[in-house]
Amino acid sequence: MATIHIDPLEKRWIWMVGGMVVIFYAVQIYYAAVHNLHPPSNVEVIDSAKLHLSEEFAEDKLGVKQEADGSYTVTMVAARYGFYPQEISVPANTPIKLRIASFDVLHGVHVPFSNMNTMVVPGYVSEVHTQFVKEGDFPMICNEYCGLGHDYMYSKLHVTGAKS
Amino acid sequence: MKANNMENKIVLSVAALAAALMMSPVMAAEHAAMATKGPSTNVSWTAEQMRFVANGDKNRGGQLNSEMFCASCHGDAGVAPTGNWPSLAGQRAEYTFKMLKDYKDGKRHGSHSAEIMQKVTQGMSDQDMADLGQFYASFDLPALPTGVTFDAAQADMSKAVIKRGDGKRLVAPCQSCHGSNGEGAVTDTPALAGMPPEYFIKTMQEYKSGARANDVYSRMRLIAKTLTDDEISQMAHYYAGMTAK
Repeated sequence: MATIHIDPLEKRWIWMVGGMVVIFYAVQIYYAAVHNLHPPSNVEVIDSAKLHLSEEFAEDKLGVKQEADGSYTVTMVAARYGFYPQEISVPANTPIKLRIASFDVLHGVHVPFSNMNTMVVPGYVSEVHTQFVKEGDFPMICNEYCGLGHDYMYSKLHVTGAKS
Repeated sequence: MKANNMENKIVLSVAALAAALMMSPVMAAEHAAMATKGPSTNVSWTAEQMRFVANGDKNRGGQLNSEMFCASCHGDAGVAPTGNWPSLAGQRAEYTFKMLKDYKDGKRHGSHSAEIMQKVTQGMSDQDMADLGQFYASFDLPALPTGVTFDAAQADMSKAVIKRGDGKRLVAPCQSCHGSNGEGAVTDTPALAGMPPEYFIKTMQEYKSGARANDVYSRMRLIAKTLTDDEISQMAHYYAGMTAK
């Protein structure tokens, strides 16, 4: 069998890279197993083209709703170029369930200083559970490139102190 | 049979135009109240719907344009004869289709001209709408109607918002959706280039007041609400001047 010549420096880096990959996987598996951190994995299909005609994501159904158990459900739509409703208000230290769907292309939702961060894939409903611990005004940012107006795609989130 | 059908349509259109022109404000208010319920449009851009509009027959659309008297306000070749009607030349077929559908369903309302169009569209089939859409889409973007001019100084002033938007007001640049040449974009974002300023301002003011509400998820209404009257006027002149030679 013919052998190929690999420079010792190159060989060393192949091992380095291999080692790094193993470390990254180990870190992910550790956090997933020990701290129960994993990407949102809600699989629920919806027809994005008919989103405005659907029951849940109809224009007058969007926004913040309090549930019987005191938690909140936030229903939103991501569409080029914004999150609708454009401004929402939720209490701090209260369980929040965000349900969001895309009206057109791939979007993302990210709220800085929180673990709210998910992709919004057309054809699917994304669901994230979280609690905001810090009061204040935060932007809700699109972090998946969605078109020429992507860098203008954000909305306002107010986290209020009083638990109403 | 076909000729008969066409005759019916002409009679209907004439009757509709006459009725609309005589319509009382009470009826207009009733219409507006009826249409505010439910979704802002019944049109959804599924693959089948897009294919249906794409297969519209522009030649038949051209016939309808004269037989249904569209041409009396929108011109023989989609260029409005005066500044208070929209030019439709070069307009996206999907946009024209959606508007006609929205008029027919009572979803686009809030002005006298919308009342006229609501009447005119009652006798139209989906096929008519797709055909008209393809007819207007077959022309280049329109020049301004004869006698209508634009103000280059005002056009210059609007460039900041049109090209850069305004993040503080959550306003994306106009051109990120409507195209850098004002040509519109998929699926139903309308072309704006060559639109008479008078009509542009009227439309934006209707979005601003909420009188026109057939934009899904209020996307245009939310933007229009943040714009000043001066800004709207400046944008009107920018888009009006876009097709000037």
